[in-house]
Amino acid sequence: MEFTLLGAAAMAMFAFWLMLRWEAKRGNAAGCATNLWDAGLVAAIVGLLGGRIVAMLEADINPFTNPAQILLVRSGVSTAAASITAVAVFAFLARRDLLPSADAIAPAALAGLAGWHAGCIPTGACLGTESALPWARALEGSDVTRHPVELYAAILLAAAAIALALWKQHGSPPLGSVAGFGLIAAGGVRLATEPLRISLSGGPVWIYVVAVVAGAGLVGWSFVTRARATRPA
Amino acid sequence: MRRLLLLIAVAGVVLGSCSTQPTGPLPPPPVTVSSDELAADIQAGASPTVVNVWASWCLPCRSEAPLIATASTSQPNVRFIGLNVKDNDPDARRFMAQYLSDADMEHFSDASGRIPIDLGGTSGVPITFFYRSDGSLAEVHLGIIDEPTMARMLDEIDR
Repeated sequence: MEFTLLGAAAMAMFAFWLMLRWEAKRGNAAGCATNLWDAGLVAAIVGLLGGRIVAMLEADINPFTNPAQILLVRSGVSTAAASITAVAVFAFLARRDLLPSADAIAPAALAGLAGWHAGCIPTGACLGTESALPWARALEGSDVTRHPVELYAAILLAAAAIALALWKQHGSPPLGSVAGFGLIAAGGVRLATEPLRISLSGGPVWIYVVAVVAGAGLVGWSFVTRARATRPA
Repeated sequence: MRRLLLLIAVAGVVLGSCSTQPTGPLPPPPVTVSSDELAADIQAGASPTVVNVWASWCLPCRSEAPLIATASTSQPNVRFIGLNVKDNDPDARRFMAQYLSDADMEHFSDASGRIPIDLGGTSGVPITFFYRSDGSLAEVHLGIIDEPTMARMLDEIDR
């Protein structure tokens, strides 16, 4: 049902809000002046819109002559276009203090993604390829047990979100490194779970690789920059 | 700002005029069937079958049609049936030409809209029924179907 997607969206928003709230009490993002909730929400909504329009164009549906279909999110969203649009919108909204804001929002964004994947419970879309593992589940009326692949993704993303938040609180990560590890986690979790998903066309693996590579680049840059800054003259 | 709005308006008009309309001869109209005939046809087919219920006036049906077409051509072992309900032949033929011309599927017609209810669904559209090769009903999906659900259900019935 179309409306079960609202349940998944609500779970994503709740997880995002919860992580922001948890981190706010622990001095999140010194130097970050951006309103993270607003910026994150706007980036997600515009990203979804961009992803939906690209999916319509890919399906040869003209969004100008079929504007109402933009709302029918269930019939397809381009993950790559949605991700790129959301990151671009967030970068624009937080352009005055981009790196502190990116570091500040990274754990919450991962938590939001975890909530979105856990939203497979209301949408009834958790299962992937066949599996005989003890926790594998079958569709109703079926004897074929399957990996609950979306729950794997949700658990991994939630663990990454918590790990990053704790590192931010108890360590002293260089500026940009938390966002970098966030990108690595977001792309890496999708890459790791993709073989367990069933798809007609194959997932957009390239965007996950781009996220991991971009994240690794950002992490490397952040450590090198700090090392240079702290080197005695 | 005024220039930007003007640019968006011009782009809208240009892109709007690029809308794909069916060209060439329309496909033959869907064949009228009864509930019993369709149920017997599914049972006799001895292959996994997907029945997609659609109507030309149904906006979500237009939206999911590309996925139905892709799925029907990507799964040669699975038989795809389109059931056009509460519609008229000219509109149904235009819909088939515009949105399902690439699909590898047979189309039937049910002007009363009774068949989906008899098969275990509802009176709404779209609905997608998934049948195993032994003719048993694996799943009734109400509303627009997404790609992961379609892929999972095809994997479920095609074995």
